[in-house]
Amino acid sequence: MTLAATTTAPGTAPPVLGAEHMTLRFGGVTALHDVSLDVRADETLAVIGPNGAGKTSLLNVFSGFYHPQQGRCFFTGTEITGKPTHEIAQMGVARTFQGTHIFAGMTVLDNILVGRHFHMRTTIPQSFLYFPWAHREELRHREVVEDIIDLLEIESIRSALVGALGYGLRKRVDLARALAMEPRVLLMDEPMAGMNTEEKEDLARFILDIREARHIPVVLVEHDMSVVMDLADRVAVFDFGRKIAEGTPQQIQRNPAVINAYLGASA
Amino acid sequence: MAMLPSGVFAVRYAQDRALLRTRPQWVSLALFMLLLALLPHLVTPRLLAIANLMLVTAIVVVGLQITLGYAGQVNLGQSAFMGVGAYAAGVLSTKWSLPFLVTIPLGGVAAALFGFVFGLSAVRIKGFYLALTTIAAQFIFHFAVLNLPVSWLGGSNGISMHPARLGGIEFSTDVSIYYLFLVSCTLMVAGAFGMMRSRTGRAFIAVRDDDVAAGMTGIPVVRTKAMAFLVGAFYAGIGGGLYAYYIRFISVDQFNLFNSVWYLGMIIVGGTGSIVGALLGTFLIRAFQEVVTSIGPLLAELVPWLGGDIVFASMNILLGGLIAFFVIVEPDGLMHRWNILKASYRLWPFRY
Ligand SMILES: Nc1ncnc2c1ncn2[C@@H]1O[C@H](COP(=O)(O)OP(=O)(O)OP(=O)(O)O)[C@@H](O)[C@H]1O
Ligand SMILES: [Mg+2]
Repeated sequence: MTLAATTTAPGTAPPVLGAEHMTLRFGGVTALHDVSLDVRADETLAVIGPNGAGKTSLLNVFSGFYHPQQGRCFFTGTEITGKPTHEIAQMGVARTFQGTHIFAGMTVLDNILVGRHFHMRTTIPQSFLYFPWAHREELRHREVVEDIIDLLEIESIRSALVGALGYGLRKRVDLARALAMEPRVLLMDEPMAGMNTEEKEDLARFILDIREARHIPVVLVEHDMSVVMDLADRVAVFDFGRKIAEGTPQQIQRNPAVINAYLGASA
Repeated sequence: MAMLPSGVFAVRYAQDRALLRTRPQWVSLALFMLLLALLPHLVTPRLLAIANLMLVTAIVVVGLQITLGYAGQVNLGQSAFMGVGAYAAGVLSTKWSLPFLVTIPLGGVAAALFGFVFGLSAVRIKGFYLALTTIAAQFIFHFAVLNLPVSWLGGSNGISMHPARLGGIEFSTDVSIYYLFLVSCTLMVAGAFGMMRSRTGRAFIAVRDDDVAAGMTGIPVVRTKAMAFLVGAFYAGIGGGLYAYYIRFISVDQFNLFNSVWYLGMIIVGGTGSIVGALLGTFLIRAFQEVVTSIGPLLAELVPWLGGDIVFASMNILLGGLIAFFVIVEPDGLMHRWNILKASYRLWPFRY
């Protein structure tokens, strides 16, 4: 599988999201050590590395959930280090989670509508009085959500409670919710983990569709090397909190340090 | 499907969103409201007085449902929030001679602010410790009323009130109060449905189910939790104000911790996260309380050797036992059971 979805050559556009000399510690554990990394517009950047390498920590710092002791993060030129998570999300950083973090008590539709929350304006008194425009706003955003439902092929489970769904479908709802935010960058934390081959292929196809239809840059944390080789424009390799290599999938496959630390260990 | 004109979508989604979708649903709601409207002509004065208490309690419990059932924030101070609304309405009415159409909403606002303060301090703690913090609301309320100058809130003497007036109508009988309460309760319940089915309600459920994911989806988690307290306390304040105009005498003892625990019991029995569940729980527990309080004296009379004290104590144990029974056997409440029944009915062969 090759990608030539975009007009600009992948990896040459200016960065959307960036980290500069970032260090994150938990007590004695250094989860990230002096990490600098750029995510460029319209690229899919894979982040790989063994367990505990700091991949999730990196995404959590970008999301504002962890605060690095040193270094800074930027989003489209604005510094976001230390900003609260919901503000960073509203600026356009969306996120899917390792494992499931969805709202189990809501339907699929309502879960995705939560992604529209900060695009909507209806206030509490307006919804109390059921103003007609509150109702119209709801319908307008429903259309945006229906497009995403079509894209991810989850029409049939629209009104199901997510608590009752299987793992693969939950992950799709998680992705749908992130897309509903209309993000300017999408961070995906091991979206394929725990899926069977068929589910993985579906999800890989969706990620390609998203890229083609929406041109959203993606940071993809992933263990499955064949997935990474298929989807990523660039790959960053982490080991013990350090970025040990960065380059095209082909370069990474040949990099001796990577083979040593990661590929060699698992293959 | 993508080729349909956009108007068709709007119609379909609007239908999809409607709360009542089928004609039988509309008819049953209309019949139910008709029954409620005719109730004063159908029941004894004693039962009507109970109905009045149920209506005002329903408002308070729907508020608790929003804070606890929807937003997942434990609140054992709902009775104190109700008291704040009652006292605010009482003072504004007796000292400032404001009409009840003004004092009731202001009572709600006063309670909402009180609740918001607790919400803000409570949002960073969870579960058991949050419960303790909200119990503190109860004690602060008690302490403030009893220790502020008597000329402000009446201290331990309480406040006596004039009946509510609207134009030429004076709400001084059980029947007139019933209609006032019915209209208020209907409005508050409809408002609760409006809020909980909007972005507000979704944000509440989101912070309840997963506050990490909620934050990363752009929801301000701390603010949302505090707002859940604010809205729930507003309902308590409205209920408190109405209650004050009904009893026409306010004292701190009417708003104690036991009542807060009862409201919690009503939510547990009716089912968390459901407005109808809150109404159902209010009805059942209030009815049960009435049965118990009327059987109690009867029993004490019939079996004199038991003694009044023992009878009343055992009645309370019985009520507590009922709630314990629900926590163990049906922790999701009656609405949950009802939803399961409804779903299986829909899946019945050949019914689409
Ligand atoms: N909240 C936390 N508190 C303490 N230590 C943490 C925390 N989060 C991460 N760590 C530590 O930081 C290191 C990096 O963890 P991280 O979750 O980022 O790894 P990962 O690359 O995502 O691993 P995996 O492939 O298992 O998901 C680990 O040693 C982990 O124990
Ligand atoms: Mg991880």
